[in-house]
Amino acid sequence: MLNIIVLVKQVPDIEKVRFDMETGRIDRSSAPAEINPFDLNALEAALQIKEKLGGFITALSMGPMQAVNSLRDAMARGADDAILLEDRRFAGADTLATSHTLAAAIRKIGSYDIILCGEKTVDGDTGQVGAEVAELLEIPHIYYVSRIVNVSEKSITVVSETEDASYVLESDFPVLVSVTRDVNKPRLPTLKSKMKAMKSQVKIWHAEDLSGFLEPDKTGYAGSPTSVQKVVVQGEKTRQGRVYRQVEEGLAELIRLFESKGLI
Amino acid sequence: MLMEGLVEQLEGIVGRESVVRGKDKMESYLFDETCIPVRPSAVPDCVLVKPANSMEVSRILRLANENKIPVYPRGGGTGLVGGAVPARSGIIVSLEKMNRIEIDGENLMAVAEAGATLGGLLKAVEEAGFSFPPHPGDEGAQIGGLVACNAGGARAVKHGVMRSFVRGLEVVLPTGEILTFGGKLLKDNMGYNLMHLIIGSEGTLGIITKVVLRLNPKTPYSLTLLLPFNSRHDALNTVPRILRSGVTPLALEYVEKELMELSAEHLGEKWVFEGEVFLIAILAGEENVVYSEAEKLSQICVENNGLEPSVAERRDEQESILRIRSNIYTALKRDSMDILDTTVPPSAIGRLADAIDTIAEKHGAYIPVYGHAADGNVHSHIMKRDAEKYEAIKREIYETTISLGGTITGEHGVGKIRVKELYRFTHPKKIELMKGVKRLFDPNNILNPSTVLEI
Repeated sequence: MLNIIVLVKQVPDIEKVRFDMETGRIDRSSAPAEINPFDLNALEAALQIKEKLGGFITALSMGPMQAVNSLRDAMARGADDAILLEDRRFAGADTLATSHTLAAAIRKIGSYDIILCGEKTVDGDTGQVGAEVAELLEIPHIYYVSRIVNVSEKSITVVSETEDASYVLESDFPVLVSVTRDVNKPRLPTLKSKMKAMKSQVKIWHAEDLSGFLEPDKTGYAGSPTSVQKVVVQGEKTRQGRVYRQVEEGLAELIRLFESKGLI
Repeated sequence: MLMEGLVEQLEGIVGRESVVRGKDKMESYLFDETCIPVRPSAVPDCVLVKPANSMEVSRILRLANENKIPVYPRGGGTGLVGGAVPARSGIIVSLEKMNRIEIDGENLMAVAEAGATLGGLLKAVEEAGFSFPPHPGDEGAQIGGLVACNAGGARAVKHGVMRSFVRGLEVVLPTGEILTFGGKLLKDNMGYNLMHLIIGSEGTLGIITKVVLRLNPKTPYSLTLLLPFNSRHDALNTVPRILRSGVTPLALEYVEKELMELSAEHLGEKWVFEGEVFLIAILAGEENVVYSEAEKLSQICVENNGLEPSVAERRDEQESILRIRSNIYTALKRDSMDILDTTVPPSAIGRLADAIDTIAEKHGAYIPVYGHAADGNVHSHIMKRDAEKYEAIKREIYETTISLGGTITGEHGVGKIRVKELYRFTHPKKIELMKGVKRLFDPNNILNPSTVLEI
């Protein structure tokens, strides 16, 4: 039986969320919060491994109390246990401080074979947390996994996609695997499991619960060497047509444009 | 042949840039979404005009009426029965420039010009904090066309088809008068209701230029419930039980696994659910109410040999199911001769589906079936591979439908390709009355001739 940890982040529905152009911040109240879509693939991969070899899946998230809802969703989809790392002292964390906090919780969980995560989150888009967690835990990690070729009690073989090649990689446990959306099609929760999960308990761990595993100056705003100054939302650009009734005039403009771009 | 000087006169009305001539420039205005084997052939000797307001529409119609030139009103071109195809030389009037939308939050109404798209309307309504429950198909469809064809779609179970939402119309008659019918009113009994005569008249009585639509407050929560079964019989027999239970879903669709797999593949997605056939229910309302309704539906299905229901709560997952459902039509279309739109009383839908299977077996044909289960509206495709038996299969499906107390078209309309069947299955006196109405509105038969009726 394998112990599998799935890293989950609650994000706003990115297609619905509004950005405040003035402050450059996301207006989180403008869209429903949900599990980061890539994390659903990680959870589905965990479920498939559990179905094959047996296992225990823990969904782990750091976030505000509302993130409990996303962890309940993870339980409805098949996670056996869920832990939310929630503390005012964790707030304002960049990817490094987040990774320190998650890694501390994983050390506290203790026994694990595979940590699964999505390749990135749709709100931050950095794709750094998984790798940083693995480094902090001093275990190997494999990124951009598009296919799980085989899993045994001791190791996993996967296909990892990079820009120039696909690699078939094998790693003994423990390992962190970050998956792309191609790795599987996440299943829906059954209505029964959804109803059950609504009443299930999500464990809440505060900063003191991680004492001995997490140095206080490594988490939250204090532990973040980087910060977001401003988010700039790219304005929408549409193609603009121009009609020339005189062919010569249009041709002259085209030639001028090509010349200005150094194309002719 | 078009009348000499017509183009110049039209340019005088709408301006030179809003008049288009030449097949290559207006190719996309010459057809709609009707399956190619049964689509009427367009006559390219037409002139396309794009009026900017009702007054221009009125002047175009006066000109056409005086000279007895056919006029083809055109929306998004998403019709399935050739309604917008110009079958004779004439003027195509595209309403695309008339696309303004106003939301009246105080009265819960939207006022949309005919050329506004369904997608545009839904966006404006949502941004204003309201909802427009029906979703009658392609979001590129235009409001004028949706009203003219009384479009239906999946979400008619709880709130009805387009007709249920129209409160007022501005219409330009073929003789050029601009009239308004109804308004921002919930009650209006002033004489015969001509507005409802125009809704669904398929562009044959007048050109709709503006529509007042009723809106609903925004629904706080929605989910899509996937109810799997191993047999069609069990699934369709469950539908009346659901409707009797007191839970009225926004939509209740019937689909078969094979078609969902085909559609998903067509979209580059996957259909991964267990079960041979499915009911798809959309529930909307307060979250706790919606979940208690979902449990009730689930219970009914399990009592009728249903398998374990799944639930999509996230927007992306709900949209994925509905996208795959909606694209059954696009996945099959390339190989289809025709798409039928028969509708029977909801309790007879199982018998209709079984009868279609028997007809398929008899002819050795493949007839995929899906539809809006709670509305009794079954879409069946007659495929190109069965082209030789097309007329026989269609006739038998129609005869069965009529014998079950049904209609040959629930939502697509008559258009230009079902006129013969309308005559065949309608009492002659009713045809005579329809013709009388047409003559009153359009004495010179200029508006969308050969559509619905042959005069």
